[in-house]
Amino acid sequence: MTTNTFVAGDAFLYHFDPRAKLLSLVLFCSWFFLPISLVGLYGVVFSIILLGSFNTGVHHTWRTFRSILPMLLFMVLFIPFNVRSGESLVTFGTFTFITREGALQAARLGGRFIGITYVCTLLFATTPMTEVMLSLRWYRLPYKASLVVTLAFTYIPFIADSFSQISESHKLREAGEETQKKNIFKRLSELLPTLTSALVVALRSIPNLAMSLEQRGFGRTEKRSMYHTLNAYTHPFTHFMLSIMIPVVLWVLCRT
Amino acid sequence: MEKSRSGSMNFPDVSVVSTDCLKVNDLSFTYRSWCAKKNEPILSHLFCTLEEKSKTLLLAPFNTGKSTFARIISGVCPKYLPGSMEGDIQVCGKDLAYTEPWELLLTCGYVSQNPQEQFVATCVEDEVAFPLESLGLPQKEIAHRVDEALMQWGLEALRTSSNQELSGGERKRVLLAVQQAINPTLWVLDESFDDLDIHWRSQLADLIRKEDNTVLVLASRYLTQFDDLFDRYALLEEGRLHFGEKQEILSSFSRLCDDDLPNPLINQSISLKKEHMLSCASLTTERSRVSTLETNIFTLSVPSFSLKSGELRTLVGPNGSGKSTFSRLLCGLDTPKSGVFSLDERVVGTKELNRNVGYLFQNPDLQIFLPTVREELSWSLKRRKDLKNAQIQEMVNSCAALFSLDLDETPTTMSYPQRKALQAAVYYLLDRPFYILDELDNALTYSTALKIIALLRRNGAGILLITHDRTFGSLVSDQGYAITDGVLGGV
Repeated sequence: MTTNTFVAGDAFLYHFDPRAKLLSLVLFCSWFFLPISLVGLYGVVFSIILLGSFNTGVHHTWRTFRSILPMLLFMVLFIPFNVRSGESLVTFGTFTFITREGALQAARLGGRFIGITYVCTLLFATTPMTEVMLSLRWYRLPYKASLVVTLAFTYIPFIADSFSQISESHKLREAGEETQKKNIFKRLSELLPTLTSALVVALRSIPNLAMSLEQRGFGRTEKRSMYHTLNAYTHPFTHFMLSIMIPVVLWVLCRT
Repeated sequence: MEKSRSGSMNFPDVSVVSTDCLKVNDLSFTYRSWCAKKNEPILSHLFCTLEEKSKTLLLAPFNTGKSTFARIISGVCPKYLPGSMEGDIQVCGKDLAYTEPWELLLTCGYVSQNPQEQFVATCVEDEVAFPLESLGLPQKEIAHRVDEALMQWGLEALRTSSNQELSGGERKRVLLAVQQAINPTLWVLDESFDDLDIHWRSQLADLIRKEDNTVLVLASRYLTQFDDLFDRYALLEEGRLHFGEKQEILSSFSRLCDDDLPNPLINQSISLKKEHMLSCASLTTERSRVSTLETNIFTLSVPSFSLKSGELRTLVGPNGSGKSTFSRLLCGLDTPKSGVFSLDERVVGTKELNRNVGYLFQNPDLQIFLPTVREELSWSLKRRKDLKNAQIQEMVNSCAALFSLDLDETPTTMSYPQRKALQAAVYYLLDRPFYILDELDNALTYSTALKIIALLRRNGAGILLITHDRTFGSLVSDQGYAITDGVLGGV
């Protein structure tokens, strides 16, 4: 549960005040739900992806995209079937498969999903977890609540990590010769035991973490001190202004 | 008397002055059973007294309750590992029945044999700083102690590294650095010399010798670094502790562990079906840590390597030298930057390596996931089309008997050495032509580890053993490979 999401780097986002980055995160996540044009939405998503590639590298950006791809495909494939009204785009006899509204809604939801994922990933990839925690405390969140929030944000990467470790282990434990290529359904059904194992590992880690936290003094009555500070960030005002201005300007440009 | 930890605030002050650092009176412990079968007590009427500043070595064979004892005295068992406990324990005058684990921060420090389970922070320096923050120390003092501990354990270059990117030995060093930064009165070190290379083992021995703290080292093997280090020796047998003279304890321990039995690898008769050879030449690979800005990327170069059926070879090298990196290449989990692997002089890809080279990870928990030992052992066999259910059952039963495993037991509640045995049993059933054993000897007795190697080699498998223990390495083979400055060569 202590998976590190930080990707070391020296680009400008690494020098951006984490408190301002947290504010940006909240504003951008809200921005995606404002009445904006689809072109504007994808323009911003594309810019965020570019920003991510510049700061954390193309490899990390691609890895993030790959990790959300199954969920994204699921959304894009199934949402259009649920929206039955409007101009039909794909029909089979008298039965309408996909409508224009359905396709637009899937595109919008997909764009929001990618955008929010990348905004969150960018924060945690360019900010060490201790600084995220210090920022949350700066916003007057109690220490325990900040710890819970940061642990919650590392939990999904932790499950992903466990998943890849278990996949590797299963790969080495495959018995017999591989005779034929597996189809997509076979592959999906084989994912299930790995996913279940990953969830079991993730759940099992909770008492271990609780045990270790208590052994490291979590729960003591003394006022907790902090090893790190945010003093190295010398331009918080400018960064806060940028954090507010960028989403506002983008909204003005992209609103419908 | 059943003890309860709840409502500790309602109890009277129990900080009784005592000259003994640890006093255990009539301790018995039985793990809660999660199935119909009741568990036997793992500790039974155990008595133990450790004087202040004493250095004690507690030897215990495979699966006899050593780690349970360590966890009880560090206050986390039975709180997090449920079971029924009886008896009285006092650590530096604090009655454990009324003391929470966080209250023992300055009193009793515990280093677990499985370093993975003790990490609470996302990077090395934060791991060391975390308990110091809990103590409310000023920032300058924390910085000073963190720097000192990291320097002492050679971790300065890794201070911002994430624990997932560290090798097993580096993880152990981080936990020892944490211990040193807190500097509790009683140090409980559970197999802490394991995973460390010779240099860091000597450093830990020097630290134990030099410091004034009370030290309890729990081990399942007697290492050369233990010579002249302890003033007391104890043996954990049938749930009880026996103190005695060094020679007396060592000979009883050797008898208990079957170390006096002949080495099963000497003159082992193997039934070789077909001779294979795994080799590579001019291989290079790179390893980088994403959580740290590195100026020099680690490169491992392998001019030549070969392993034949039935051969036993060791692979040695300092912590973080690339032993596990090479192992991952050899079993096809990673692909090299340049160079290829050949099996019987035929170039093979990762999939073929996956199916021909069994890799027992350093940490067994990364390879054991299913709810029962039976399911874990039968997982791979069920995927074979040539086996019927009855055959699978028979194979699983005989394998469990060979490795002393209970088929209905839950792996997560088993001890660490038992989980290592289960991991080996899984690969025993796969019957691969080659095996890489990554520090198999950690937490196992020599006899158990040798028995496992002999079992894996029964059909002529070629074995590459990664170890830091020269004594154990010499019991396995006098030929092998070493990694020095990023180059793998023969020794």
